[in-house]
Amino acid sequence: MEGHQRNLYLYDRFNARVAGVSRDEVSTLRHWSDQLGLSFPLLGNPTGYLGMDLGTQHKGVPMFSRRTVVIDKWGQIRYSEKGSPDYREILRLLKQLHEEEEKR
Amino acid sequence: MKYLLLIFISFLLGGCLAAEPPADPFAGMRMADGSVLWEDEYRFTPPPPPWQLLTLDEEDYSVAFFRGCRKEEPGNYPCESTLAYAEEPFGYSRDLEERQEEFFRRFLWAARVDFEKPSLKKTRALGGEALQADTVGHERVLGHKVLVRVIFAHRGERIVAFYFTQWRPADEEFDQSQLKALENFVGGFTFTAPSFYEKLVTRQD
Repeated sequence: MEGHQRNLYLYDRFNARVAGVSRDEVSTLRHWSDQLGLSFPLLGNPTGYLGMDLGTQHKGVPMFSRRTVVIDKWGQIRYSEKGSPDYREILRLLKQLHEEEEKR
Repeated sequence: MKYLLLIFISFLLGGCLAAEPPADPFAGMRMADGSVLWEDEYRFTPPPPPWQLLTLDEEDYSVAFFRGCRKEEPGNYPCESTLAYAEEPFGYSRDLEERQEEFFRRFLWAARVDFEKPSLKKTRALGGEALQADTVGHERVLGHKVLVRVIFAHRGERIVAFYFTQWRPADEEFDQSQLKALENFVGGFTFTAPSFYEKLVTRQD
Protein backbone atom coordinates (compact mmCIF):
# COMPACT_ATOMS: atom_id res chain seq x y z
CA MET A 1 0.00 0.00 0.00
CA GLU A 2 2.66 2.42 1.06
CA GLY A 3 4.66 1.59 -2.04
CA HIS A 4 1.79 2.69 -4.24
CA GLN A 5 1.36 5.87 -2.20
CA ARG A 6 5.08 6.53 -2.59
CA ASN A 7 4.82 6.13 -6.35
CA LEU A 8 1.68 8.22 -6.93
CA TYR A 9 3.66 11.10 -8.45
CA LEU A 10 5.11 8.67 -10.98
CA TYR A 11 1.71 7.13 -11.72
CA ASP A 12 0.50 10.67 -12.43
CA ARG A 13 3.30 11.19 -14.90
CA PHE A 14 2.40 7.98 -16.67
CA ASN A 15 -1.29 8.89 -16.75
CA ALA A 16 -2.16 5.99 -14.46
CA ARG A 17 -4.45 5.72 -11.46
CA VAL A 18 -4.37 3.16 -8.70
CA ALA A 19 -7.16 1.64 -6.61
CA GLY A 20 -7.07 -1.09 -4.01
CA VAL A 21 -9.79 -3.72 -3.73
CA SER A 22 -10.44 -6.10 -0.88
CA ARG A 23 -13.39 -7.95 0.63
CA ASP A 24 -13.42 -5.64 3.65
CA GLU A 25 -16.29 -3.33 4.48
CA VAL A 26 -15.88 0.32 3.58
CA SER A 27 -15.66 1.38 7.25
CA THR A 28 -12.70 -0.96 7.76
CA LEU A 29 -11.00 0.31 4.64
CA ARG A 30 -11.59 3.92 5.67
CA HIS A 31 -9.91 3.29 9.00
CA TRP A 32 -7.01 1.50 7.35
CA SER A 33 -6.62 4.23 4.74
CA ASP A 34 -6.60 6.90 7.43
CA GLN A 35 -4.04 5.01 9.48
CA LEU A 36 -1.70 4.65 6.52
CA GLY A 37 -2.43 8.12 5.14
CA LEU A 38 -3.44 6.81 1.74
CA SER A 39 -4.84 9.27 -0.78
CA PHE A 40 -5.97 6.81 -3.47
CA PRO A 41 -9.26 4.91 -3.37
CA LEU A 42 -9.76 1.61 -1.61
CA LEU A 43 -12.80 -0.30 -2.80
CA GLY A 44 -14.77 -2.71 -0.65
CA ASN A 45 -16.09 -5.77 -2.47
CA PRO A 46 -17.56 -7.93 0.34
CA THR A 47 -19.34 -10.27 -2.07
CA GLY A 48 -16.04 -11.03 -3.76
CA TYR A 49 -17.22 -11.05 -7.37
CA LEU A 50 -14.29 -8.97 -8.56
CA GLY A 51 -11.88 -11.47 -7.07
CA MET A 52 -13.65 -14.27 -8.91
CA ASP A 53 -13.18 -12.39 -12.16
CA LEU A 54 -9.51 -11.77 -11.51
CA GLY A 55 -8.67 -15.16 -10.05
CA THR A 56 -7.95 -14.00 -6.52
CA GLN A 57 -10.95 -15.50 -4.77
CA HIS A 58 -10.13 -19.06 -3.84
CA LYS A 59 -12.77 -21.49 -2.67
CA GLY A 60 -13.32 -21.49 1.08
CA VAL A 61 -11.05 -18.51 1.71
CA PRO A 62 -12.71 -15.40 3.17
CA MET A 63 -10.34 -12.95 1.53
CA PHE A 64 -8.70 -12.24 -1.80
CA SER A 65 -5.20 -13.44 -2.42
CA ARG A 66 -2.82 -10.66 -3.26
CA ARG A 67 -2.63 -9.72 -6.92
CA THR A 68 -1.75 -6.68 -9.01
CA VAL A 69 -3.63 -6.03 -12.23
CA VAL A 70 -2.93 -3.31 -14.76
CA ILE A 71 -5.72 -2.38 -17.16
CA ASP A 72 -4.93 -0.11 -20.07
CA LYS A 73 -7.10 2.80 -21.13
CA TRP A 74 -8.85 0.59 -23.65
CA GLY A 75 -9.93 -1.83 -20.93
CA GLN A 76 -7.46 -4.58 -21.70
CA ILE A 77 -5.69 -6.36 -18.86
CA ARG A 78 -2.01 -5.87 -19.59
CA TYR A 79 -0.53 -7.29 -16.41
CA SER A 80 -1.72 -9.66 -13.72
CA GLU A 81 0.71 -11.00 -11.15
CA LYS A 82 0.04 -12.66 -7.82
CA GLY A 83 1.93 -11.96 -4.64
CA SER A 84 3.50 -8.77 -3.33
CA PRO A 85 3.61 -6.00 -5.91
CA ASP A 86 6.83 -5.67 -7.87
CA TYR A 87 6.75 -1.89 -7.92
CA ARG A 88 9.63 -1.49 -10.31
CA GLU A 89 8.15 -3.92 -12.81
CA ILE A 90 4.84 -2.10 -12.52
CA LEU A 91 6.46 1.28 -13.10
CA ARG A 92 8.34 0.03 -16.14
CA LEU A 93 5.09 -1.29 -17.59
CA LEU A 94 3.18 1.93 -16.85
CA LYS A 95 5.91 3.90 -18.56
CA GLN A 96 5.75 1.60 -21.57
CA LEU A 97 1.94 1.84 -21.74
CA HIS A 98 2.11 5.60 -21.48
CA GLU A 99 4.57 5.71 -24.36
CA GLU A 100 2.23 3.47 -26.37
CA GLU A 101 -0.63 5.84 -25.58
CA GLU A 102 1.34 8.82 -26.80
CA LYS A 103 2.11 7.10 -30.09
CA ARG A 104 -1.54 6.30 -30.86
CA MET B 1 -11.17 10.86 -18.89
CA LYS B 2 -9.77 7.40 -19.19
CA TYR B 3 -6.64 6.40 -17.37
CA LEU B 4 -4.55 3.37 -17.08
CA LEU B 5 -5.94 1.61 -14.08
CA LEU B 6 -3.78 -0.24 -11.66
CA ILE B 7 -5.60 -2.47 -9.24
CA PHE B 8 -4.07 -4.38 -6.45
CA ILE B 9 -5.67 -6.80 -4.12
CA SER B 10 -3.92 -7.42 -0.91
CA PHE B 11 -3.70 -8.20 2.73
CA LEU B 12 -1.03 -7.20 5.19
CA LEU B 13 2.11 -9.24 5.24
CA GLY B 14 4.93 -8.92 7.70
CA GLY B 15 8.61 -9.22 7.01
CA CYS B 16 11.59 -10.08 9.08
CA LEU B 17 15.35 -9.98 9.08
CA ALA B 18 17.49 -13.07 9.14
CA ALA B 19 21.11 -13.09 10.22
CA GLU B 20 23.59 -14.96 8.06
CA PRO B 21 27.32 -14.76 8.70
CA PRO B 22 29.02 -15.45 5.34
CA ALA B 23 32.76 -16.09 5.31
CA ASP B 24 33.53 -13.12 3.06
CA PRO B 25 30.38 -11.25 2.20
CA PHE B 26 32.25 -8.68 0.13
CA ALA B 27 34.37 -10.99 -1.99
CA GLY B 28 34.94 -9.41 -5.37
CA MET B 29 33.42 -6.11 -4.28
CA ARG B 30 36.37 -4.60 -2.42
CA MET B 31 38.01 -1.54 -3.88
CA ALA B 32 41.66 -0.60 -3.40
CA ASP B 33 40.80 1.83 -0.58
CA GLY B 34 38.89 -0.81 1.39
CA SER B 35 35.46 0.44 0.41
CA VAL B 36 32.90 -1.86 -1.17
CA LEU B 37 31.06 -1.47 -4.47
CA TRP B 38 27.64 -2.92 -3.67
CA GLU B 39 25.30 -4.02 -6.44
CA ASP B 40 27.21 -1.75 -8.84
CA GLU B 41 25.26 1.13 -7.36
CA TYR B 42 26.46 1.97 -3.83
CA ARG B 43 29.96 2.53 -2.54
CA PHE B 44 30.59 2.47 1.19
CA THR B 45 33.01 1.34 3.86
CA PRO B 46 31.44 -1.45 5.89
CA PRO B 47 31.48 -0.95 9.66
CA PRO B 48 34.32 -2.93 11.27
CA PRO B 49 33.79 -6.22 13.16
CA PRO B 50 31.90 -7.21 15.24
CA TRP B 51 29.46 -5.64 12.77
CA GLN B 52 28.48 -8.25 10.20
CA LEU B 53 26.44 -8.13 7.04
CA LEU B 54 22.80 -9.14 7.29
CA THR B 55 21.11 -11.10 4.56
CA LEU B 56 17.61 -9.77 4.12
CA ASP B 57 14.42 -11.53 3.22
CA GLU B 58 12.53 -8.31 2.71
CA GLU B 59 12.92 -5.28 0.49
CA ASP B 60 12.82 -2.56 3.12
CA TYR B 61 16.59 -2.37 3.37
CA SER B 62 19.18 -2.12 0.60
CA VAL B 63 22.10 -3.08 2.82
CA ALA B 64 22.20 -3.77 6.54
CA PHE B 65 24.61 -4.77 9.29
CA PHE B 66 24.18 -6.36 12.67
CA ARG B 67 26.21 -6.68 15.84
CA GLY B 68 25.86 -7.92 19.37
CA CYS B 69 25.83 -5.95 22.56
CA ARG B 70 29.53 -6.20 23.23
CA LYS B 71 32.17 -8.17 21.35
CA GLU B 72 30.38 -11.48 21.39
CA GLU B 73 28.87 -12.75 18.18
CA PRO B 74 26.14 -13.05 17.36
CA GLY B 75 24.21 -10.73 19.60
CA ASN B 76 21.19 -11.99 21.39
CA TYR B 77 18.00 -10.01 21.46
CA PRO B 78 17.40 -7.75 23.30
CA CYS B 79 21.08 -6.87 23.21
CA GLU B 80 21.86 -6.15 19.58
CA SER B 81 22.29 -3.33 17.08
CA THR B 82 21.53 -2.85 13.42
CA LEU B 83 22.75 -0.30 10.93
CA ALA B 84 21.21 -0.04 7.49
CA TYR B 85 20.69 1.94 4.34
CA ALA B 86 17.18 1.86 2.93
CA GLU B 87 16.29 2.95 -0.56
CA GLU B 88 12.59 2.81 0.33
CA PRO B 89 12.14 3.88 3.95
CA PHE B 90 8.66 3.65 5.44
CA GLY B 91 6.37 6.51 4.49
CA TYR B 92 5.81 8.16 1.15
CA SER B 93 6.27 11.92 1.37
CA ARG B 94 9.15 13.55 -0.48
CA ASP B 95 9.42 16.18 2.26
CA LEU B 96 11.95 15.29 4.95
CA GLU B 97 9.90 16.33 7.98
CA GLU B 98 6.67 14.78 6.75
CA ARG B 99 8.52 11.60 5.86
CA GLN B 100 9.95 11.15 9.35
CA GLU B 101 6.43 11.44 10.82
CA GLU B 102 5.15 8.78 8.43
CA PHE B 103 8.21 6.67 9.03
CA PHE B 104 7.76 6.38 12.77
CA ARG B 105 4.15 5.28 12.36
CA ARG B 106 5.46 2.09 10.75
CA PHE B 107 9.02 1.58 11.94
CA LEU B 108 9.36 -1.43 14.27
CA TRP B 109 5.60 -1.73 14.13
CA ALA B 110 5.86 -5.51 14.32
CA ALA B 111 7.93 -5.18 17.51
CA ARG B 112 5.12 -3.22 19.21
CA VAL B 113 7.32 -0.26 20.01
CA ASP B 114 6.03 3.04 21.41
CA PHE B 115 8.36 5.82 20.32
CA GLU B 116 9.11 8.96 22.27
CA LYS B 117 8.70 12.15 20.22
CA PRO B 118 11.79 12.20 17.98
CA SER B 119 14.24 15.06 18.33
CA LEU B 120 14.99 16.45 14.88
CA LYS B 121 18.17 18.06 13.66
CA LYS B 122 18.97 19.39 10.20
CA THR B 123 22.16 17.91 8.87
CA ARG B 124 23.79 16.95 5.59
CA ALA B 125 24.14 13.56 3.94
CA LEU B 126 24.69 12.28 0.41
CA GLY B 127 25.83 15.74 -0.61
CA GLY B 128 22.60 17.50 0.29
CA GLU B 129 20.32 18.54 3.10
CA ALA B 130 19.18 15.80 5.43
CA LEU B 131 17.21 15.35 8.63
CA GLN B 132 18.41 13.39 11.63
CA ALA B 133 15.76 11.96 13.94
CA ASP B 134 16.71 10.55 17.34
CA THR B 135 14.33 8.75 19.62
CA VAL B 136 13.90 5.88 22.06
CA GLY B 137 11.24 3.26 21.61
CA HIS B 138 9.73 1.20 24.41
CA GLU B 139 8.52 -2.35 24.08
CA ARG B 140 6.47 -2.47 27.23
CA VAL B 141 5.29 -6.06 27.14
CA LEU B 142 8.72 -7.67 27.23
CA GLY B 143 10.40 -4.74 28.98
CA HIS B 144 12.85 -3.79 26.22
CA LYS B 145 13.87 -0.47 24.75
CA VAL B 146 15.50 0.60 21.53
CA LEU B 147 17.71 3.57 20.74
CA VAL B 148 16.99 4.82 17.23
CA ARG B 149 18.71 7.29 14.95
CA VAL B 150 17.43 7.72 11.41
CA ILE B 151 18.98 10.07 8.86
CA PHE B 152 16.63 10.98 6.03
CA ALA B 153 18.30 12.28 2.88
CA HIS B 154 17.48 12.93 -0.76
CA ARG B 155 18.32 10.77 -3.71
CA GLY B 156 16.99 12.46 -6.80
CA GLU B 157 13.29 13.10 -6.26
CA ARG B 158 12.96 10.52 -3.53
CA ILE B 159 13.90 10.16 0.10
CA VAL B 160 16.23 7.47 1.34
CA ALA B 161 17.32 6.76 4.90
CA PHE B 162 20.08 5.41 7.08
CA TYR B 163 18.96 3.59 10.24
CA PHE B 164 20.61 2.72 13.49
CA THR B 165 18.87 0.71 16.18
CA GLN B 166 20.21 -0.58 19.47
CA TRP B 167 18.08 -2.87 21.61
CA ARG B 168 18.57 -3.23 25.33
CA PRO B 169 16.62 -4.52 28.32
CA ALA B 170 14.69 -1.57 29.78
CA ASP B 171 16.95 -1.37 32.85
CA GLU B 172 20.27 -1.30 30.96
CA GLU B 173 22.13 1.69 29.56
CA PHE B 174 22.52 2.30 25.83
CA ASP B 175 26.00 2.32 24.35
CA GLN B 176 25.97 5.66 22.53
CA SER B 177 29.49 5.10 21.20
CA GLN B 178 28.08 2.70 18.60
CA LEU B 179 26.48 5.67 16.85
CA LYS B 180 29.94 6.47 15.53
CA ALA B 181 29.59 3.49 13.19
CA LEU B 182 26.50 5.11 11.65
CA GLU B 183 28.25 8.45 11.30
CA ASN B 184 31.21 6.83 9.52
CA PHE B 185 28.98 4.73 7.31
CA VAL B 186 26.86 7.69 6.20
CA GLY B 187 29.90 9.90 5.69
CA GLY B 188 31.49 7.43 3.30
CA PHE B 189 28.36 6.38 1.42
CA THR B 190 28.08 7.41 -2.22
CA PHE B 191 26.15 6.37 -5.31
CA THR B 192 28.06 5.10 -8.31
CA ALA B 193 25.09 4.90 -10.69
CA PRO B 194 21.71 6.60 -11.12
CA SER B 195 18.86 5.02 -9.18
CA PHE B 196 16.10 3.03 -10.82
CA TYR B 197 13.81 6.05 -10.40
CA GLU B 198 16.30 8.49 -11.87
CA LYS B 199 16.67 6.26 -14.91
CA LEU B 200 12.92 5.78 -15.16
CA VAL B 201 12.13 9.47 -15.41
CA THR B 202 15.04 10.29 -17.70
CA ARG B 203 14.08 7.59 -20.20
CA GLN B 204 17.19 5.52 -19.49
CA ASP B 205 15.31 2.57 -18.03
